[in-house]
Amino acid sequence: MADSDCLALIHAELDGRLDPQQRAELARRLLADPEVRTLREDLLRLRSMLDAVGDVEPPADLKANVLSALPVPAVPLRPTLWLAARWRYAALLAGVLSAATLVYETVDGPAPGSGELTGTMAARRTALVLDTVALDTGPVRGHVSLYRDASGLGLALELASSAPVDVVVVSGSETLRVNGLGAAAVPDQKKSVALPGSGMGGRRVVDLTFLMSGREVARARLTAPEGR
Amino acid sequence: MKEDDDPALVQRCRDGDRRAFERLVERYQRPVFNAAMRMLHDPQDALDVAQTTFLKAFEHLANYDPNFKFYSWIYRIAVNESLNALGMRKPFQALDGEEPDEGPGPERQAEGEQTRREIDAALMLLSPELRIVLVLRHFTHLSYEDMSEILELPEKTVKSRLYSARQLLREQLLRRGAV
Repeated sequence: MADSDCLALIHAELDGRLDPQQRAELARRLLADPEVRTLREDLLRLRSMLDAVGDVEPPADLKANVLSALPVPAVPLRPTLWLAARWRYAALLAGVLSAATLVYETVDGPAPGSGELTGTMAARRTALVLDTVALDTGPVRGHVSLYRDASGLGLALELASSAPVDVVVVSGSETLRVNGLGAAAVPDQKKSVALPGSGMGGRRVVDLTFLMSGREVARARLTAPEGR
Repeated sequence: MKEDDDPALVQRCRDGDRRAFERLVERYQRPVFNAAMRMLHDPQDALDVAQTTFLKAFEHLANYDPNFKFYSWIYRIAVNESLNALGMRKPFQALDGEEPDEGPGPERQAEGEQTRREIDAALMLLSPELRIVLVLRHFTHLSYEDMSEILELPEKTVKSRLYSARQLLREQLLRRGAV
Protein backbone atom coordinates (compact mmCIF):
# COMPACT_ATOMS: atom_id res chain seq x y z
CA MET A 1 0.00 0.00 0.00
CA ALA A 2 1.46 3.36 -1.02
CA ASP A 3 1.64 5.84 1.85
CA SER A 4 1.81 9.59 1.29
CA ASP A 5 5.63 9.63 1.25
CA CYS A 6 5.65 6.93 -1.37
CA LEU A 7 3.03 8.75 -3.46
CA ALA A 8 5.10 11.92 -3.28
CA LEU A 9 8.12 9.99 -4.60
CA ILE A 10 6.13 8.58 -7.52
CA HIS A 11 4.72 11.98 -8.47
CA ALA A 12 8.13 13.60 -8.11
CA GLU A 13 9.46 10.97 -10.50
CA LEU A 14 6.71 11.81 -12.99
CA ASP A 15 7.78 15.44 -12.84
CA GLY A 16 11.50 14.65 -13.08
CA ARG A 17 12.13 15.96 -9.60
CA LEU A 18 13.82 13.00 -7.91
CA ASP A 19 17.31 13.35 -6.49
CA PRO A 20 19.54 10.23 -6.32
CA GLN A 21 18.65 9.54 -2.71
CA GLN A 22 14.92 9.72 -3.40
CA ARG A 23 15.36 7.56 -6.48
CA ALA A 24 17.01 4.88 -4.36
CA GLU A 25 14.21 5.09 -1.81
CA LEU A 26 11.57 4.73 -4.52
CA ALA A 27 13.39 1.73 -5.99
CA ARG A 28 13.41 0.10 -2.56
CA ARG A 29 9.67 0.60 -2.14
CA LEU A 30 8.92 -0.65 -5.65
CA LEU A 31 10.77 -3.86 -4.91
CA ALA A 32 8.97 -4.31 -1.61
CA ASP A 33 5.37 -3.65 -2.68
CA PRO A 34 3.58 -4.85 -5.85
CA GLU A 35 0.73 -2.36 -5.27
CA VAL A 36 3.21 0.48 -5.44
CA ARG A 37 4.56 -0.94 -8.69
CA THR A 38 1.04 -1.09 -10.17
CA LEU A 39 0.26 2.44 -9.09
CA ARG A 40 3.50 3.75 -10.56
CA GLU A 41 2.90 1.93 -13.85
CA ASP A 42 -0.62 3.38 -14.07
CA LEU A 43 0.62 6.88 -13.39
CA LEU A 44 3.46 6.55 -15.90
CA ARG A 45 0.91 5.39 -18.46
CA LEU A 46 -1.31 8.32 -17.55
CA ARG A 47 1.56 10.73 -18.11
CA SER A 48 2.23 9.15 -21.51
CA MET A 49 -1.43 9.57 -22.41
CA LEU A 50 -1.36 13.21 -21.34
CA ASP A 51 1.84 13.77 -23.34
CA ALA A 52 0.19 12.17 -26.36
CA VAL A 53 -2.63 14.72 -26.37
CA GLY A 54 -1.44 17.24 -28.89
CA ASP A 55 -2.21 20.92 -29.05
CA VAL A 56 -5.36 22.12 -30.75
CA GLU A 57 -4.74 24.65 -33.48
CA PRO A 58 -6.19 28.01 -32.37
CA PRO A 59 -8.79 29.48 -34.75
CA ALA A 60 -7.18 31.34 -37.62
CA ASP A 61 -9.06 34.53 -36.83
CA LEU A 62 -8.13 34.70 -33.13
CA LYS A 63 -5.25 37.11 -33.64
CA ALA A 64 -7.17 39.25 -36.11
CA ASN A 65 -10.16 39.45 -33.77
CA VAL A 66 -7.98 40.51 -30.86
CA LEU A 67 -6.11 43.13 -32.85
CA SER A 68 -9.27 44.59 -34.36
CA ALA A 69 -10.85 44.89 -30.90
CA LEU A 70 -7.95 46.75 -29.31
CA PRO A 71 -8.91 50.21 -28.10
CA VAL A 72 -7.01 53.13 -29.53
CA PRO A 73 -4.85 54.53 -26.72
CA ALA A 74 -4.85 58.29 -26.53
CA VAL A 75 -1.39 58.20 -24.96
CA PRO A 76 1.31 55.54 -24.62
CA LEU A 77 0.61 53.24 -21.70
CA ARG A 78 3.60 54.27 -19.57
CA PRO A 79 2.82 54.08 -15.87
CA THR A 80 3.63 57.74 -15.30
CA LEU A 81 1.39 58.94 -18.11
CA TRP A 82 -1.25 56.51 -16.97
CA LEU A 83 -1.21 58.16 -13.57
CA ALA A 84 -1.51 61.55 -15.20
CA ALA A 85 -4.48 60.31 -17.20
CA ARG A 86 -6.35 59.45 -14.02
CA TRP A 87 -7.69 62.98 -13.83
CA ARG A 88 -9.37 62.49 -17.14
CA TYR A 89 -10.92 59.24 -15.93
CA ALA A 90 -12.08 60.94 -12.74
CA ALA A 91 -13.79 63.63 -14.83
CA LEU A 92 -15.29 60.95 -17.08
CA LEU A 93 -16.53 59.01 -14.06
CA ALA A 94 -18.18 62.14 -12.69
CA GLY A 95 -19.95 62.58 -16.03
CA VAL A 96 -21.08 58.96 -16.08
CA LEU A 97 -22.40 59.19 -12.52
CA SER A 98 -24.39 62.26 -13.46
CA ALA A 99 -25.80 60.48 -16.50
CA ALA A 100 -26.59 57.39 -14.41
CA THR A 101 -28.46 59.55 -11.91
CA LEU A 102 -30.55 61.02 -14.72
CA VAL A 103 -31.23 57.56 -16.13
CA TYR A 104 -32.27 56.30 -12.71
CA GLU A 105 -34.63 59.20 -12.27
CA THR A 106 -36.14 58.53 -15.67
CA VAL A 107 -36.48 54.77 -15.41
CA ASP A 108 -36.90 53.97 -11.75
CA GLY A 109 -38.09 57.24 -10.35
CA PRO A 110 -41.64 58.45 -10.01
CA ALA A 111 -43.70 58.69 -13.20
CA PRO A 112 -42.76 61.88 -15.04
CA GLY A 113 -45.25 64.58 -15.80
CA SER A 114 -46.17 65.34 -19.37
CA GLY A 115 -43.67 68.15 -19.59
CA GLU A 116 -40.88 65.97 -18.30
CA LEU A 117 -41.89 63.19 -20.67
CA THR A 118 -41.60 65.51 -23.63
CA GLY A 119 -38.14 66.46 -22.49
CA THR A 120 -37.11 62.84 -22.11
CA MET A 121 -38.34 61.94 -25.57
CA ALA A 122 -36.63 64.95 -27.08
CA ALA A 123 -33.39 63.98 -25.43
CA ARG A 124 -33.66 60.43 -26.77
CA ARG A 125 -33.94 61.68 -30.32
CA THR A 126 -30.32 62.80 -30.09
CA ALA A 127 -29.12 59.27 -29.36
CA LEU A 128 -27.55 57.34 -32.23
CA VAL A 129 -28.29 53.61 -32.21
CA LEU A 130 -25.09 51.74 -33.10
CA ASP A 131 -26.14 48.11 -32.84
CA THR A 132 -29.23 46.13 -31.89
CA VAL A 133 -29.78 42.49 -31.00
CA ALA A 134 -33.19 40.83 -30.94
CA LEU A 135 -33.75 38.06 -28.42
CA ASP A 136 -36.42 35.94 -30.04
CA THR A 137 -35.78 32.49 -28.66
CA GLY A 138 -35.54 31.21 -25.12
CA PRO A 139 -37.16 32.48 -21.96
CA VAL A 140 -36.07 36.09 -22.46
CA ARG A 141 -37.58 38.04 -25.38
CA GLY A 142 -37.07 41.57 -26.56
CA HIS A 143 -34.37 43.90 -27.86
CA VAL A 144 -31.11 45.30 -26.64
CA SER A 145 -29.58 48.33 -28.32
CA LEU A 146 -26.25 50.02 -27.98
CA TYR A 147 -26.50 53.76 -28.49
CA ARG A 148 -24.35 56.83 -28.18
CA ASP A 149 -25.61 60.14 -26.93
CA ALA A 150 -24.03 63.26 -25.54
CA SER A 151 -22.86 61.49 -22.39
CA GLY A 152 -21.30 58.51 -24.15
CA LEU A 153 -22.32 54.93 -24.82
CA GLY A 154 -25.41 53.42 -23.28
CA LEU A 155 -27.56 50.34 -23.46
CA ALA A 156 -31.31 50.32 -23.91
CA LEU A 157 -32.92 47.07 -22.78
CA GLU A 158 -36.52 46.16 -23.57
CA LEU A 159 -37.13 42.71 -22.17
CA ALA A 160 -40.05 40.46 -21.40
CA SER A 161 -39.75 37.21 -19.49
CA SER A 162 -41.59 34.92 -17.13
CA ALA A 163 -39.30 35.80 -14.23
CA PRO A 164 -36.93 38.65 -13.37
CA VAL A 165 -33.79 38.74 -15.46
CA ASP A 166 -30.38 39.98 -14.33
CA VAL A 167 -28.02 41.20 -17.02
CA VAL A 168 -24.24 41.14 -16.65
CA VAL A 169 -22.67 43.69 -18.98
CA VAL A 170 -18.97 43.41 -19.79
CA SER A 171 -17.42 46.23 -21.74
CA GLY A 172 -13.66 46.40 -21.87
CA SER A 173 -12.41 46.07 -18.32
CA GLU A 174 -15.73 47.22 -16.85
CA THR A 175 -18.46 44.91 -15.60
CA LEU A 176 -21.94 46.09 -14.66
CA ARG A 177 -24.91 44.16 -13.42
CA VAL A 178 -28.49 45.27 -13.97
CA ASN A 179 -30.93 43.35 -11.83
CA GLY A 180 -34.60 42.54 -12.01
CA LEU A 181 -35.55 43.29 -15.62
CA GLY A 182 -38.40 41.88 -17.64
CA ALA A 183 -40.51 40.55 -14.78
CA ALA A 184 -43.94 39.31 -15.80
CA ALA A 185 -45.62 41.99 -13.72
CA VAL A 186 -43.93 44.65 -15.83
CA PRO A 187 -44.00 43.39 -19.41
CA ASP A 188 -41.65 44.97 -21.91
CA GLN A 189 -39.97 46.99 -19.23
CA LYS A 190 -37.51 49.52 -20.61
CA LYS A 191 -34.22 50.30 -19.01
CA SER A 192 -31.30 52.46 -20.07
CA VAL A 193 -27.82 52.01 -18.68
CA ALA A 194 -24.85 54.31 -19.23
CA LEU A 195 -21.58 52.48 -19.88
CA PRO A 196 -18.61 53.84 -17.93
CA GLY A 197 -15.40 54.74 -19.72
CA SER A 198 -17.20 55.10 -23.02
CA GLY A 199 -16.09 58.42 -24.40
CA MET A 200 -15.43 58.81 -28.11
CA GLY A 201 -12.85 56.34 -29.29
CA GLY A 202 -12.26 53.07 -31.03
CA ARG A 203 -14.39 50.05 -31.67
CA ARG A 204 -16.02 48.75 -28.52
CA VAL A 205 -17.49 45.34 -27.87
CA VAL A 206 -20.16 44.91 -25.22
CA ASP A 207 -21.01 41.41 -24.04
CA LEU A 208 -24.24 40.72 -22.21
CA THR A 209 -25.17 37.64 -20.26
CA PHE A 210 -28.78 37.20 -19.22
CA LEU A 211 -29.41 35.32 -15.99
CA MET A 212 -32.60 33.95 -14.49
CA SER A 213 -32.32 32.72 -10.90
CA GLY A 214 -28.57 32.96 -11.30
CA ARG A 215 -28.49 30.69 -14.36
CA GLU A 216 -27.42 31.84 -17.78
CA VAL A 217 -30.31 31.85 -20.26
CA ALA A 218 -28.97 33.93 -23.12
CA ARG A 219 -26.01 35.89 -24.38
CA ALA A 220 -25.66 38.81 -26.76
CA ARG A 221 -22.83 40.86 -28.19
CA LEU A 222 -23.11 44.44 -29.37
CA THR A 223 -20.45 46.41 -31.13
CA ALA A 224 -19.85 50.13 -31.40
CA PRO A 225 -17.90 50.68 -34.60
CA GLU A 226 -14.76 52.75 -34.53
CA GLY A 227 -15.22 56.49 -34.58
CA ARG A 228 -18.97 56.49 -33.88
CA MET B 1 17.31 42.15 -23.14
CA LYS B 2 16.78 40.90 -26.69
CA GLU B 3 14.64 42.92 -29.05
CA ASP B 4 12.03 40.20 -29.35
CA ASP B 5 11.83 38.81 -25.82
CA ASP B 6 8.81 39.39 -23.62
CA PRO B 7 10.07 42.30 -21.47
CA ALA B 8 11.20 44.20 -24.58
CA LEU B 9 7.90 43.62 -26.35
CA VAL B 10 5.94 44.67 -23.26
CA GLN B 11 7.98 47.85 -23.04
CA ARG B 12 7.31 48.60 -26.70
CA CYS B 13 3.58 47.99 -26.13
CA ARG B 14 3.65 50.48 -23.30
CA ASP B 15 5.24 52.95 -25.66
CA GLY B 16 2.26 52.53 -27.97
CA ASP B 17 3.73 50.00 -30.42
CA ARG B 18 0.84 47.77 -31.49
CA ARG B 19 3.09 45.60 -33.60
CA ALA B 20 4.80 44.51 -30.38
CA PHE B 21 1.47 43.43 -28.92
CA GLU B 22 0.75 41.54 -32.12
CA ARG B 23 3.99 39.59 -31.54
CA LEU B 24 2.88 38.72 -28.01
CA VAL B 25 -0.49 37.51 -29.31
CA GLU B 26 1.28 35.38 -31.93
CA ARG B 27 3.52 33.92 -29.24
CA TYR B 28 0.84 33.11 -26.69
CA GLN B 29 -2.34 32.51 -28.67
CA ARG B 30 -1.64 28.81 -28.96
CA PRO B 31 -0.93 28.00 -25.26
CA VAL B 32 -3.65 30.35 -24.02
CA PHE B 33 -6.25 28.91 -26.38
CA ASN B 34 -5.21 25.34 -25.55
CA ALA B 35 -5.31 25.91 -21.80
CA ALA B 36 -8.81 27.38 -22.15
CA MET B 37 -9.85 24.53 -24.43
CA ARG B 38 -8.77 21.90 -21.90
CA MET B 39 -10.50 23.78 -19.11
CA LEU B 40 -13.76 24.40 -20.96
CA HIS B 41 -13.96 21.59 -23.52
CA ASP B 42 -15.73 23.95 -25.92
CA PRO B 43 -13.99 25.67 -28.86
CA GLN B 44 -16.26 28.71 -28.89
CA ASP B 45 -15.91 29.31 -25.16
CA ALA B 46 -12.16 28.78 -25.42
CA LEU B 47 -12.01 31.33 -28.25
CA ASP B 48 -13.98 33.85 -26.17
CA VAL B 49 -11.69 33.30 -23.20
CA ALA B 50 -8.55 33.63 -25.31
CA GLN B 51 -9.78 36.87 -26.90
CA THR B 52 -10.81 38.33 -23.57
CA THR B 53 -7.46 37.33 -22.07
CA PHE B 54 -5.50 39.28 -24.66
CA LEU B 55 -7.80 42.29 -24.54
CA LYS B 56 -7.54 42.45 -20.76
CA ALA B 57 -3.78 42.03 -20.95
CA PHE B 58 -3.60 44.96 -23.36
CA GLU B 59 -5.83 47.16 -21.23
CA HIS B 60 -3.89 46.40 -18.06
CA LEU B 61 -0.37 46.44 -19.45
CA ALA B 62 0.29 49.62 -17.50
CA ASN B 63 -0.27 47.68 -14.27
CA TYR B 64 1.92 44.74 -15.23
CA ASP B 65 4.97 44.40 -12.99
CA PRO B 66 7.97 43.54 -15.20
CA ASN B 67 9.60 41.79 -12.25
CA PHE B 68 7.20 38.92 -12.88
CA LYS B 69 7.25 36.72 -15.95
CA PHE B 70 4.90 37.94 -18.65
CA TYR B 71 3.69 34.43 -19.44
CA SER B 72 2.77 33.85 -15.78
CA TRP B 73 0.79 37.06 -15.85
CA ILE B 74 -1.09 36.25 -19.05
CA TYR B 75 -1.78 32.66 -17.95
CA ARG B 76 -3.18 34.02 -14.71
CA ILE B 77 -5.62 36.15 -16.70
CA ALA B 78 -6.51 33.13 -18.85
CA VAL B 79 -7.05 30.93 -15.79
CA ASN B 80 -9.31 33.52 -14.16
CA GLU B 81 -11.29 34.01 -17.36
CA SER B 82 -11.69 30.24 -17.77
CA LEU B 83 -12.92 29.88 -14.20
CA ASN B 84 -15.33 32.78 -14.77
CA ALA B 85 -16.62 31.10 -17.92
CA LEU B 86 -17.14 27.85 -16.04
CA GLY B 87 -18.97 29.74 -13.31
CA MET B 88 -21.38 31.17 -15.90
CA ARG B 89 -22.33 27.77 -17.24
CA LYS B 90 -25.54 25.98 -16.49
CA PRO B 91 -24.94 23.10 -14.07
CA PHE B 92 -25.61 20.41 -16.65
CA GLN B 93 -22.89 21.78 -18.89
CA ALA B 94 -20.31 20.58 -16.41
CA LEU B 95 -21.07 17.08 -17.58
CA ASP B 96 -20.67 17.84 -21.27
CA GLY B 97 -17.34 16.06 -21.20
CA GLU B 98 -18.97 12.76 -20.39
CA GLU B 99 -19.32 11.69 -23.96
CA PRO B 100 -20.72 8.24 -24.70
CA ASP B 101 -17.99 5.65 -24.82
CA GLU B 102 -18.53 4.38 -28.35
CA GLY B 103 -15.28 2.44 -28.58
CA PRO B 104 -12.90 2.59 -31.52
CA GLY B 105 -14.85 1.59 -34.61
CA PRO B 106 -13.22 0.99 -37.98
CA GLU B 107 -13.98 4.50 -39.20
CA ARG B 108 -12.98 6.19 -36.01
CA GLN B 109 -10.11 8.56 -35.98
CA ALA B 110 -6.61 7.52 -35.05
CA GLU B 111 -5.69 6.18 -31.64
CA GLY B 112 -4.30 9.57 -30.63
CA GLU B 113 -7.70 11.12 -31.20
CA GLN B 114 -9.33 8.44 -29.07
CA THR B 115 -6.83 9.15 -26.29
CA ARG B 116 -7.58 12.84 -26.52
CA ARG B 117 -11.29 12.19 -26.24
CA GLU B 118 -10.83 9.96 -23.22
CA ILE B 119 -8.58 12.47 -21.51
CA ASP B 120 -10.86 15.41 -22.30
CA ALA B 121 -13.90 13.57 -21.01
CA ALA B 122 -12.16 12.47 -17.81
CA LEU B 123 -10.75 15.97 -17.25
CA MET B 124 -14.23 17.45 -17.32
CA LEU B 125 -15.23 15.22 -14.42
CA LEU B 126 -12.61 16.82 -12.18
CA SER B 127 -13.31 19.99 -10.25
CA PRO B 128 -11.96 23.16 -11.94
CA GLU B 129 -9.40 23.58 -9.13
CA LEU B 130 -7.90 20.17 -9.85
CA ARG B 131 -8.33 20.40 -13.61
CA ILE B 132 -6.37 23.62 -13.84
CA VAL B 133 -3.25 22.18 -12.21
CA LEU B 134 -3.24 19.27 -14.64
CA VAL B 135 -3.71 21.63 -17.57
CA LEU B 136 -0.89 23.92 -16.49
CA ARG B 137 1.48 21.05 -15.74
CA HIS B 138 0.81 18.64 -18.58
CA PHE B 139 -0.49 20.78 -21.45
CA THR B 140 1.23 24.09 -20.79
CA HIS B 141 4.31 22.37 -19.33
CA LEU B 142 4.81 24.81 -16.48
CA SER B 143 6.98 24.21 -13.42
CA TYR B 144 5.65 24.01 -9.87
CA GLU B 145 7.11 27.49 -9.29
CA ASP B 146 5.29 29.01 -12.26
CA MET B 147 2.05 27.30 -11.31
CA SER B 148 2.39 28.61 -7.79
CA GLU B 149 2.82 32.14 -9.14
CA ILE B 150 -0.08 31.86 -11.57
CA LEU B 151 -2.52 30.30 -9.14
CA GLU B 152 -1.30 32.41 -6.22
CA LEU B 153 -0.98 29.29 -4.10
CA PRO B 154 1.93 27.92 -2.08
CA GLU B 155 4.01 25.41 -4.03
CA LYS B 156 3.11 22.74 -1.50
CA THR B 157 -0.60 23.24 -2.25
CA VAL B 158 0.06 23.11 -5.97
CA LYS B 159 1.85 19.78 -5.60
CA SER B 160 -0.85 18.38 -3.37
CA ARG B 161 -3.57 19.36 -5.87
CA LEU B 162 -1.55 17.98 -8.75
CA TYR B 163 -1.12 14.64 -7.02
CA SER B 164 -4.82 14.46 -6.17
CA ALA B 165 -5.76 15.45 -9.71
CA ARG B 166 -3.60 12.71 -11.22
CA GLN B 167 -4.99 10.11 -8.85
CA LEU B 168 -8.56 11.07 -9.68
CA LEU B 169 -7.86 11.22 -13.40
CA ARG B 170 -6.30 7.77 -13.19
CA GLU B 171 -9.39 6.46 -11.42
CA GLN B 172 -11.70 8.00 -14.05
CA LEU B 173 -9.68 6.49 -16.87
CA LEU B 174 -9.53 3.11 -15.16
CA ARG B 175 -13.30 3.22 -14.82
CA ARG B 176 -13.57 3.93 -18.55
CA GLY B 177 -11.09 1.16 -19.34
CA ALA B 178 -8.71 3.68 -20.89
CA VAL B 179 -5.66 2.95 -18.68
